[in-house]
Amino acid sequence: MSFLGRWRTNVVNQIPALVLVAMCVASTLMSDRFLSSTNITNVLLQAAVLAVISVGMTFVVIGGGFDLSVGSIVGLSGCVAAEVMLRAGIFAGVVSGIATGAAVGLANGLVIARANVSPFIATLGSMVFVRGLALLMTKGAPVVGDDGLPAGFIWFGTARLFGIPWPVLAAIFIFAIFAWVLHKTAFGTRVFATGGSREAAFLSGVPVRRVTLLVYVICGITAGIAGVMLAARLQSGQPTAGEFYELTAIAAVVLGGAALHGGEGYLYKTMIGVLIMTVLTNSLNLMGVDSYWQRIAIGVVIVAAAAADQLRAKVN
Amino acid sequence: MDSRRDALDGGAMTHIRIANVSKFFGATCALSDVSLEVKSGSILALLGENGAGKSTLIKILSGIYPPDAGRIELDGQPAHFKSLPEAIAAGVVLVPQELRVAGALSVAENMLLGYLPSRRVAGLLPCVDARAMKESARAILGDLDVNIDVDARARDLTFAERQLVVIGRALGHKTRILILDEPTASLERRETERLFTVLRRLRNQGVTIIYISHRLEEVDILADECAVLRDGRLAAMSSAPFERNDLIHAMTGRELDLQAGGARSAGDVRVSVSLPGGALTCRQGEVIGLGGLLGSGATELLRRLFGVRSGRPGERNSEYPRDVPAAIENGVGFVPGERALSLVMALSVRDNIVLPHISAFCTASGRDEQKITAAVVRLMTLLDIRPHNPDMPVRGLSGGNQQKVVFAKWLAGRLDLLLLDEPTNGVDIAAKAHIHRYIADFASSGGAVILSSSDMPELLGLSDCVVALRQGRVVGRVSRDNTYGEASLRALLETAV
Ligand SMILES: Nc1ncnc2c1ncn2[C@@H]1O[C@H](COP(=O)(O)OP(=O)(O)OP(=O)(O)O)[C@@H](O)[C@H]1O
Ligand SMILES: [Mg+2]
Repeated sequence: MSFLGRWRTNVVNQIPALVLVAMCVASTLMSDRFLSSTNITNVLLQAAVLAVISVGMTFVVIGGGFDLSVGSIVGLSGCVAAEVMLRAGIFAGVVSGIATGAAVGLANGLVIARANVSPFIATLGSMVFVRGLALLMTKGAPVVGDDGLPAGFIWFGTARLFGIPWPVLAAIFIFAIFAWVLHKTAFGTRVFATGGSREAAFLSGVPVRRVTLLVYVICGITAGIAGVMLAARLQSGQPTAGEFYELTAIAAVVLGGAALHGGEGYLYKTMIGVLIMTVLTNSLNLMGVDSYWQRIAIGVVIVAAAAADQLRAKVN
Repeated sequence: MDSRRDALDGGAMTHIRIANVSKFFGATCALSDVSLEVKSGSILALLGENGAGKSTLIKILSGIYPPDAGRIELDGQPAHFKSLPEAIAAGVVLVPQELRVAGALSVAENMLLGYLPSRRVAGLLPCVDARAMKESARAILGDLDVNIDVDARARDLTFAERQLVVIGRALGHKTRILILDEPTASLERRETERLFTVLRRLRNQGVTIIYISHRLEEVDILADECAVLRDGRLAAMSSAPFERNDLIHAMTGRELDLQAGGARSAGDVRVSVSLPGGALTCRQGEVIGLGGLLGSGATELLRRLFGVRSGRPGERNSEYPRDVPAAIENGVGFVPGERALSLVMALSVRDNIVLPHISAFCTASGRDEQKITAAVVRLMTLLDIRPHNPDMPVRGLSGGNQQKVVFAKWLAGRLDLLLLDEPTNGVDIAAKAHIHRYIADFASSGGAVILSSSDMPELLGLSDCVVALRQGRVVGRVSRDNTYGEASLRALLETAV
């Protein structure tokens, strides 16, 4: 009995990984292109941007919050990076792109932690606001300059190391750093505590407001990094880049099994969620499913994931 | 149907039959082959140490968990409710150990949530009949002889008041079986007595009552039958009058030495604050009790001493710590009366214990897991926290073991002033003796303790001096001289200012 119980709990906890494996197997059977190295590289490249956004989103969700503005941050920070890069060089461009994300995250955090506005409303507002800013700044046109973005920057978007694209390596690096922060540092423990119970965390001496503020800053920074990475891949700053990324990222976090009410989750599981989302889109593309049906399929997957989350909560 | 009801009311028939019930949580066996019968119109006291399986048993009875094995019968009919509402519809009403109130709703709304009275506006539009709702809420609270404003928001109530509201909610249903899980854990004697009066009346009306408590003196005066659980098994069953030592023995499996305390001498002043009506001073090696009835302001005072600010103007005061981290830094620990306020339920025992002092358990390369494990294992052994699994989420622990985790949290770092609000709330007699012993030892080793408790024998037994509080005012003091005792404290608290 007890063995069976434990086994069942373990299986339920690993549902996301099992789903991912099942999807890969199914895609391999249905399309012989799925396992080709071009396709795998392609999947990883697409996953890289989403993964970086989802890292920050995981912090926010575990901290008991929510961030709808990351897609808009991706757009704005890509444009800012491209604009600055054209005038002051690659380094300044990259830094200002990331700083843009951090600034939006800080604003979100201040509104939520200090003014006690609900995360949903606060970030809904900044989602619209920031997108408007990006469109206003670029007048709706891509930022490419007269002779394109600097070659070194475009190189980052296309080059490989040992066959692995640089953006993928960057995503892995960022994941590793933030996994350490979340699971191995005092700050990470405080994020879990704040999301699990604000009041109990507060009475245990956790500076809950500061923690809340910081998770939004982290989320802004990772969205900013993702924006810069995407600009390198698109070889331009696109004001409309990253639309719907907030929803895909939240879906990935939930697919990975982090509780939407906060306090529970693992960063590596979010990465599994990211891969599920990317592999799903990829194999639908390979199978030639048209894009309208793709949206329907993705919607179904998100709801099914939330239902699976409930099942997991019940078994635990 | 009616004839059967008559038969029930007439004779002492078996009302609830629990047969061979077992329940597992993952690897833990919470109940194993429990069989139990309760007669119609009687009060059964369910006793047992923390984690014995009491709450689990009544949760199964009221449809929250399904049993893994065994049968439940009511009036000879199988009764396996699939959910709480289903049980309530069948007249089985539970007052749970972990209170749930909707903070944003009023007291009246909370009490009548399941069956709001409605009327039709202009004979058409159905809407909630607010007046009727308040009326019934007031009637129920009046029945309990409690004075709570039915319009107040539930979140503004104290824990004890919320407990009374939840009990009132249960009384409002058409109840055949009323189950109360430690209803008196934070009630003061006066409220407890009123509750008992109501329970006795309900029993006389034919309601069957199952009552969980750790206070044996309550069992003596209230219960007709008594069942003792130990480690998920039925250890003993007896009828009134009860032999207290037998009950203790059945619960713990051993004799218990309930004496606490050693010699101690007061040292330097550790904390001193001025309050309306007088000063509150606590020296090192001293236990100061805060005595008060419902709404005494003791909880508020303890929270301020812990650096929690209520946001009222004019409270910036150098006598109190600046904020909570500053208080903790300064060696202050706080055990709030409500466990949900002191533990992060989703977090492991280990992380909860180290949370207040987490920086001290970290090096440049992150959390020092070895150091954390060493400290956590030491504290779990010291306080006998069961099951002995540091990685288990706190929510899987029984109430009493959770309370021990709250103590362990503060013992993990430097501690010289301990603020206690109902420290043995929901703790079994063995653990209570442990906690009393610990409080006394902490004081003899030079620690300062400020204690608030609605359990008068506990308050008077532990304290060197009890300060009587009423609405945040000091109204008197009882010191250890020949008048020290419940009578003089009561006299202070109950006479008008
Ligand atoms: N949701 C749960 N998940 C895992 N284990 C649980 C859960 N609920 C209870 N248990 C375990 O089942 C056992 C019985 O717990 P239960 O809450 O019934 O004890 P109790 O007798 O009510 O104790 P207390 O007096 O402390 O309230 C304990 O060992 C507890 O750790
Ligand atoms: Mg219990």
